[in-house]
Amino acid sequence: MASEATAEKFRALTPSEFFYRNRELAGFSNPARALYQAVRELVENALDATDPHGIHPTIKVILQKVSAERDNIFSISVEDNGIGIPSAQVPRAFGQLLYSSKYVLRQTRGMFGLGAKMAVLYGQMTTGRSVEVLTSTITAKNIYYFNIAIDVKTNTPIIHEKGVYRKNNGWHGTVVKLYLEGDWTRSKSKIYEYLKRTAIIAPYAEIVFEDPEGTITYFERSTRKMPPPPREVKPHPKGVDIEMMRMMLKATKTKTLLEFLIKEFQSVGEVTARRLIENAGLLPDMKPHELSTEDVERLVRVIKSDTKIKPPSANHLSYVGEEIIKVGLKAILKPEFVTAVTRKPSVYEGHAFIVEAGLAYGGEIQPEDRPVLYRYANKIPLLYDEGADVARKVVDRIDWSHYGVTFPAPLVILVHICSTKVPYKGVGKESVADVPEVEHEIELAIREVARRLKRYLSKKKREREEAERAVAIAKYIPDVARGLAKIVNNVREEMIEKELLKMLNMKLRSFKINSVSDVVVGIE
Amino acid sequence: MREVSTVSYMSAVDIKARKKALKKIERAFSKLVKDILSGKTPTLVIRKRTLANTVFDAERGLLRIGNATLKRSFLNAGEAKKFMQTVLIASIIHEALKNDEYPTIRDLYYRGKHTIRFRDLATGRVREENTWDEQKESDSVIRDLEVLIDMLREEMLILSKEKGKVVGDMRIKSGDDIIDLSKMGHGAYSIEPTPDFIEFKDVNAEFVLVIEKDAVFQQLHRAGFWKKYKALLITSAGQPDRATRRFVRRLSDELGLPIYILTDADPYGWYIYSVFKVGSITLSYESERLATPSARFLGVSMIDIFGSDKLKKKPYLTEAERKNYIIKATDTDIKRAKELKSYEWFRTKRWLEEINIFLKKKAKLEIEALTSKGLRFLMDTYIPEKIETGDWIA
Repeated sequence: MASEATAEKFRALTPSEFFYRNRELAGFSNPARALYQAVRELVENALDATDPHGIHPTIKVILQKVSAERDNIFSISVEDNGIGIPSAQVPRAFGQLLYSSKYVLRQTRGMFGLGAKMAVLYGQMTTGRSVEVLTSTITAKNIYYFNIAIDVKTNTPIIHEKGVYRKNNGWHGTVVKLYLEGDWTRSKSKIYEYLKRTAIIAPYAEIVFEDPEGTITYFERSTRKMPPPPREVKPHPKGVDIEMMRMMLKATKTKTLLEFLIKEFQSVGEVTARRLIENAGLLPDMKPHELSTEDVERLVRVIKSDTKIKPPSANHLSYVGEEIIKVGLKAILKPEFVTAVTRKPSVYEGHAFIVEAGLAYGGEIQPEDRPVLYRYANKIPLLYDEGADVARKVVDRIDWSHYGVTFPAPLVILVHICSTKVPYKGVGKESVADVPEVEHEIELAIREVARRLKRYLSKKKREREEAERAVAIAKYIPDVARGLAKIVNNVREEMIEKELLKMLNMKLRSFKINSVSDVVVGIE
Repeated sequence: MREVSTVSYMSAVDIKARKKALKKIERAFSKLVKDILSGKTPTLVIRKRTLANTVFDAERGLLRIGNATLKRSFLNAGEAKKFMQTVLIASIIHEALKNDEYPTIRDLYYRGKHTIRFRDLATGRVREENTWDEQKESDSVIRDLEVLIDMLREEMLILSKEKGKVVGDMRIKSGDDIIDLSKMGHGAYSIEPTPDFIEFKDVNAEFVLVIEKDAVFQQLHRAGFWKKYKALLITSAGQPDRATRRFVRRLSDELGLPIYILTDADPYGWYIYSVFKVGSITLSYESERLATPSARFLGVSMIDIFGSDKLKKKPYLTEAERKNYIIKATDTDIKRAKELKSYEWFRTKRWLEEINIFLKKKAKLEIEALTSKGLRFLMDTYIPEKIETGDWIA
């Protein structure tokens, strides 16, 4: 809801002015947070330029100190192998706020593409330096270079420099480099954590990171499978509030209210449209922009209370899928057990959503006093405000001993919510609110993966007990064989040993002992 | 050239015994090997050595092992160790027999004790375990082996410390030597661990007196009791070992001598008497050869101390002597007495009377109390008088 409301406010100030004054809204509240936020925004743009278009992402992130004297000025360069930006759109894509290819209702990582431009604006504000962009689309014959600044007063791009280079190697994608004030020491762990969690949710990407200390980290691509790309979808009437309805009425090209409802929304046919219009006391052939404020309010109220509208479709939602989540958790955390579940689509307040949960246990995971929680919304890792998140609440409410887990335990829970509208708590977009429908789905998803863990743990326990029983017998085989061979003539120790092991192995179900010497190391 | 063969120095009886024991062990374990090679789970079937599987044979007057068996399968995790220990002890005894050795049970414990280093497959860690830690573990499987092959350990030429002693007007052959038990000086003949190999040559005695206490035995020996009363004098020095019991049994069986037993007047002494007479519970399988059902409890009885109006018997002790010599019974004594009362072979009229007086008076007495009253009293009054008048419990 925050985005529509703030978008409205931009009309008084220019958007650039507004963000300039309220930069904490976009996560640029201090140098440490700003550095983290800038990396994040650029990486998310890079991912959005690749995976929805069927390209396996290869992303290179270089964070450098600009000069030896100044400890707090950094350059960030992020390169992707995505679809590139048509040269004509580059200046506005980086130099004008609220211009974005994402200004449609589609589930993407960020909304409205504000983030990258905030990073540009923040960089310009703190260092006085403009952004450099190198880009080429798949079909373009050239590579384009831009050096762009934002004119804050007018919210227009200023092109300082532009270059065109002949492309002869088939490269496509975008390289963005900007300069900003930051605090590496205090953001280091968050940036690494962010990249790690991104690598988990997008194991089909390869990510290289060079940090200001010169350390290079490589997150390998561990699968070629990618989630289905998200599709554009018309809004569901129940998901639209008064402000949004007014904007849509104003922007529509339809001629009548009846046509407007049928064409601009999903799940609305003629019968439904006529019923809604009648119940709101309006007329089918009214012109959309003629509705008064009261008319709009009444229409929205009628829609909200209508019980017959079909629930929203979830076809457009791009979930990650059980297999990819498992691959990601396995590749990065190296656990001994991993599982994941993707729930069926569900609906809250007219918005379709899907909850996915992953679970990783044991292996290289360090034991903690409670489950470690990795939260994601539309494939973006959420690192801040964990305590306020509904997923944390659910995880803490669960009695893990019921699932065979006693803490400290090496347990990581991943929760992913995907929706065209994630119910964030507050403007920071770092935690998900306690929406009952969402909470319920999260709980079902976590309990499902927890049940699988329980099955795994009890199977493992059975196997361990069998191994203990087997060892309790196998360790005595050499002494029994030797003893019997000494007493009884004409029988070789090795023969008895072999037969005893064969009999023991016949009793074992979960494993076999290849050789007695696997168990008995020595007799002294 | 001197001959370096041990065989030529060994007694003929030992050589024979070795052959027999080797054969029995080989027979039992050959069957096990046959099972293993034909894919059958190796299982030892051994009669249980428990109180529940101890039967009192009233007709013959001795304890016998019942028919309940325990199956010890090597492929059962809970039984594998005992199985291994049984095979291990058998192989060590077998080897000792072959090598003409005479190991003690302590030797066997050391020979079998070694460390198994094994990998715990669940954790991958290497751990250590001893084949056995304490001697009571190896002793226990020795007893199992005795039951399994129906042979006493002495017959397998396993020796134990000699404890029992004998003196008297008698000649025996032990090994290849003739020993005159009347010419032991102030000492006595230690009853060898393999009394079956002793040959009785000639004897000039009318009864056998077995005394629990070594000190009392020595006093009577030096005072010439056995000469004066034509007795064979034996002490078990506490709880009797198997050799002493077997020796006493043979005196009774083969020479027809009456056996009288003199112990402290307490549950411990009574149990010593009962071990001589009917056998012990943990070794009930040995009673057939070790128990002497005709043995008589000479004293010291509760009635000897307190007298009995009913039986019209005066006590041997005065009021003042009782006061000095009687020891207060402990809780353990009381508990033990109650246990004895539940054993079938103690449930005779006369024994219940004894135990009930004890439980009522809560008093016990050592034999030494009678020597304190006077060695002469013990030697010339108490013992002969009780034997003459038949004042003993059968």
